[in-house]
Amino acid sequence: MQWAVVSAAFLASAVEFVEAFTIVLVVGVTINWRSSLLGAFLAAATLAVIVATLGVALVQFVPIEILRLVVGVILILFGLKWLKKAVLRYSGLKSLHDEEAIYEEKQAELRARGEQKSPRIDTFGVLLSYKSVLLEGLEVAFIVITFGSSAANNVCSSSCGISSAAIGAAIAGILVIALGALVRAPLTKIPENTLKFVVGVMLTSFGTFWAGEGLGINWPLADVFILALVAIYLLTSFVLVMWLRRTPAQIANRKGVPAESVEEEVLQ
Amino acid sequence: MKVIKAIYNFLVGDMIILIGVLVLVGVLLLIENVSALAVIRPVSGVIMVVAIIAIVTATLAREAYSKER
Repeated sequence: MQWAVVSAAFLASAVEFVEAFTIVLVVGVTINWRSSLLGAFLAAATLAVIVATLGVALVQFVPIEILRLVVGVILILFGLKWLKKAVLRYSGLKSLHDEEAIYEEKQAELRARGEQKSPRIDTFGVLLSYKSVLLEGLEVAFIVITFGSSAANNVCSSSCGISSAAIGAAIAGILVIALGALVRAPLTKIPENTLKFVVGVMLTSFGTFWAGEGLGINWPLADVFILALVAIYLLTSFVLVMWLRRTPAQIANRKGVPAESVEEEVLQ
Repeated sequence: MKVIKAIYNFLVGDMIILIGVLVLVGVLLLIENVSALAVIRPVSGVIMVVAIIAIVTATLAREAYSKER
C-alpha cells in the first residue's frame, strides 16, 4: 500500500464524486430516484468495463518510462487547468464554484422542461444521471490509472499502485455518498474551491515529478522531492493570487468602474 | 473535429497551457537526448519547474488583462 498515492487519489476523486453526486441528487429529487440511480449504476458498469480494459492494457503493454512521461504530461495539464481556475476564484476574477447554484439551476431547467415526479423510469433522468456519472467517473478512472501506474517502483508493482489509488478513490466515493445520504442536500458545505486548489497543486506536483522521471531527469531526494514541488507550487499560487488581486480588472471589480479607467490611473 | 474538441476540453481547455506544456516536453526531450546539450542536463529539472510556473502565470495574465473581462 502506498499512502501518498492513496491520499492523492482520495482527494482528486472526492472532487469528481461531489460533482457527480450533485447531478444524481438533482435528478433523484426532481424526477425520481429510480431513474437517477439507474443512470448512475449504468454509468458505473460502463466505467468498470473501461477501467478493467484500460488498466490491464496500460499495465501489461506500455513501458513504464513512456507511461510516466505520458501520464505525467496529462496530470500537468489536468493540474494546471484546476490550479488556474482555483487561483482565479481566490483572486476574485472568477466567481466561486457554487454547488448550491448548480443545484438550483438544474432544478429550474428540469421544471422548465415540465418534468414531474413520477415513479416510472424516465429516459431523460437516466441519461442525465448516466452522462454526469460517466464523465466524472472517467476522470476518477483517469486519476486511478495514472496515479496507480506511475507510482510503480521497486517496492510496489503497477497493479499494487493501481490498487492503492483505487482504494483512495473508493474511500472518497463511499464518504461522499454517505455524506450526501446523511445531509440529503447538495454538498455545499464542502469548500470545493479549496479542494480543487489542493488537488490542482498535487496533480501538478505529481505530474512534474513523473513527467520529469519519464524524460530522464534525476530529482534530488527521489520521491521526497514531490513535497518540495508541492511547496514550490503552493508558494507560487499564493504569489499569483496576491498579484491578481492587484490587477486593474480586479480593482475595477471592487470599485465598480471600467478596467480601462483603472489602467489609465495606474499609468498616470 | 467535435471529438478532438471534446478531448481537448476534457483534458485542458486552454491553448496556452497545452502549447506551453508540449513545447516544454519537446525542449526537455532535446536536452536529454542531444549530446551537444548535455551541459544543461543537470538543470533540466529547474528548467521544467520554472517553465511550468511561467505557463500558469501566462495563462492567468491573459485572463486578468483580457479586454473581454
